[in-house]
Amino acid sequence: MDKLLSVNDLRTHFYTREGVVHAVNGISFDLEAGETLGIVGESGCGKSVSMLSLLRLIPQPPGKILSGSANFNDIDLLSTSEDELRKIRGAKISMVFQDPMTYFNPVLKVGKQVMEPYLLHNDVSEKEAEERMFEMFAEVGISNPKGCAEDYPHQYSGGMRQRAMIAMALMCSPEILIADEPTTALDVTIQAQIIDMVRKLRDDFDMSIIWITHDLGIIANLAQRVIVMYAGYIIEEAYVKDLYKKPLHPYTIGLLNSLPRLDMKEKEKLNTIEGIPPVMYKETNLCPFAPRCQFAIDKCLNENPPLERFDNKRSVACWVDVETGKERK
Amino acid sequence: MTTYIIRRLLLVPLLLFGVTILIFGMLQFLTPAERASLYIRDIPKNERQLEIIIKHYNLNDPVYVQYWNWMVGKADPITGEIHGGILRGDFGYSRTGSEPVMDMIKHRFPATLELALLSVLPIIAVGIWLGVAAAVNHNKFIDQLIRVLSIIAASFPVFVFGLLLIMIFYAKLNWFPTGRYSQWVLEEIVSKQFATPTGFMTIDAIKAGRWDILLDTIRHLVLPVLVLSYISWATFVRVTRSSMLEALGQDYILTAREKGLSENQVVRKHALPNAMIPVTTMAGFTVVGLLGGVVITETIFNYPGIGSAAASAATQLDVVTVMGFALFNGFILIAANLIVDVLYGVIDPRVQLS
Repeated sequence: MDKLLSVNDLRTHFYTREGVVHAVNGISFDLEAGETLGIVGESGCGKSVSMLSLLRLIPQPPGKILSGSANFNDIDLLSTSEDELRKIRGAKISMVFQDPMTYFNPVLKVGKQVMEPYLLHNDVSEKEAEERMFEMFAEVGISNPKGCAEDYPHQYSGGMRQRAMIAMALMCSPEILIADEPTTALDVTIQAQIIDMVRKLRDDFDMSIIWITHDLGIIANLAQRVIVMYAGYIIEEAYVKDLYKKPLHPYTIGLLNSLPRLDMKEKEKLNTIEGIPPVMYKETNLCPFAPRCQFAIDKCLNENPPLERFDNKRSVACWVDVETGKERK
Repeated sequence: MTTYIIRRLLLVPLLLFGVTILIFGMLQFLTPAERASLYIRDIPKNERQLEIIIKHYNLNDPVYVQYWNWMVGKADPITGEIHGGILRGDFGYSRTGSEPVMDMIKHRFPATLELALLSVLPIIAVGIWLGVAAAVNHNKFIDQLIRVLSIIAASFPVFVFGLLLIMIFYAKLNWFPTGRYSQWVLEEIVSKQFATPTGFMTIDAIKAGRWDILLDTIRHLVLPVLVLSYISWATFVRVTRSSMLEALGQDYILTAREKGLSENQVVRKHALPNAMIPVTTMAGFTVVGLLGGVVITETIFNYPGIGSAAASAATQLDVVTVMGFALFNGFILIAANLIVDVLYGVIDPRVQLS
């Protein structure tokens, strides 16, 4: 398959009063055409920041993209001009955010906001934009599109708002849709509806999706390939099937073990990973997960493992072979 | 929207009623004799007169009767002519102005309104502009400069600033004189060579094509406008700046940028409408503040408006005039609040439902 987006050595830091937060520490990955890529990790692991960095949407200052390239249609998103990038934002790459309440402008009508990217990126009349919007509203399952377009965000329900936000992101038929935890703020039934809808839209629109979440269950439903992030590093990357069958990184194992299961006994406690993820104030010379890792060996505390390729289809950043508990040869 | 406005309008009579009660109530702190004594010179010799006045004006009647008389007027027992009555537009006779209070307001209010409008419009326009400029360039030089200037302005006393301006621009340079017009303009007005149908000197001068009079008017307006507005400017800039900064930090700004809007469009279309919500409230307060501010400003610059008249009436214990002006001020405040409330409904769609 063709590489649609190729990210190389992306590094984003935030310069705060407390120190330099190393949010994203040299991540590289590819996105293929038509593929859905899941990015999984705890809050603060750098998954959102890395996606916002791709479109240079992190606030600068305090944020700064130190290095990296992101090739999309022969354009490097990280070094191209602001004008060039603006033509891509919302048109070829668009984003859907977590909380549709705060990500909609409260004082503008939803219809106006949904039409905005289409009017901006295409030479069309208001009327044509409106027709396009009604089409999109039908796609995402908003009934009574005329009335809804005239409403303000606070008059929508949570699920409706997220549908409208997805409609807004799809107005220009983007090649890549970046979804930043779009279902986290919704209850489970709505969540399922939205995911089904996105799966259908992905096929209809023939687009690639990057889906950020901390819910491995959603990924299994939706994505072909998964990236697991921890402390600003990619620590494992694999096809969904392989990852679920045989996770290679202790952190991924911990994540999978902490999923609630239907066959759990009543009052059985969920598994957890002890400790909290670190805030990275400096370059680390140990594996960032080592302090919480049950497999850690001496080498983990002295050297940060690089992301290494296995069997030509998956990668992991760990010194230990989790099957034997010994250092990988 | 319409129902929202109608609901606000329905409140107005109630508020007006409240204002009259409040102002009338304050008068009741004085005994009938104290109130009557304001009209008599040399009281020990004329004690009899005191009683006559109390009887004539029914100052010993129950409070509600007096309030009724004050509101709708009272028929003279002999001639049957009705005197007084706020509702009839009769605010009583001003001792210090030597004319009915209503006429005094009619004569002097255009001058004050002209001064206030010329202050308020630049405050809003320039204040918002500077506030936005500071917020967009957050922590850069221009932001720091605007912040420092507005803090200095906000903490500079009006009377000091006013006197400083008079000393420099009137006494020393003689660029901007005090008062409302020069002697020759006054003579033209008195001799009816120059008509002032609207009462606004600037508008009348432009309408008549009298550029010399317009220039003279502007020379007299520069200093009062400056003194009246600089503190409001400072607060306006700061409120706009902080609410703009808050708006720019919101999630929907990220959405707007993500759509591919330019920074200019993001500010104009997405941040500004939100930042205007607190600024509108501020605008209401500013108008209210200006009405109080005219008292000092007009007094400093000897400007013949409502404020200077109210100040001299107050110092000479002219209760009728002070009450009339207080009532008039109350009406204007209610009107200003009504406008702000309606604007609120226009810019913030969430207001109408609650």
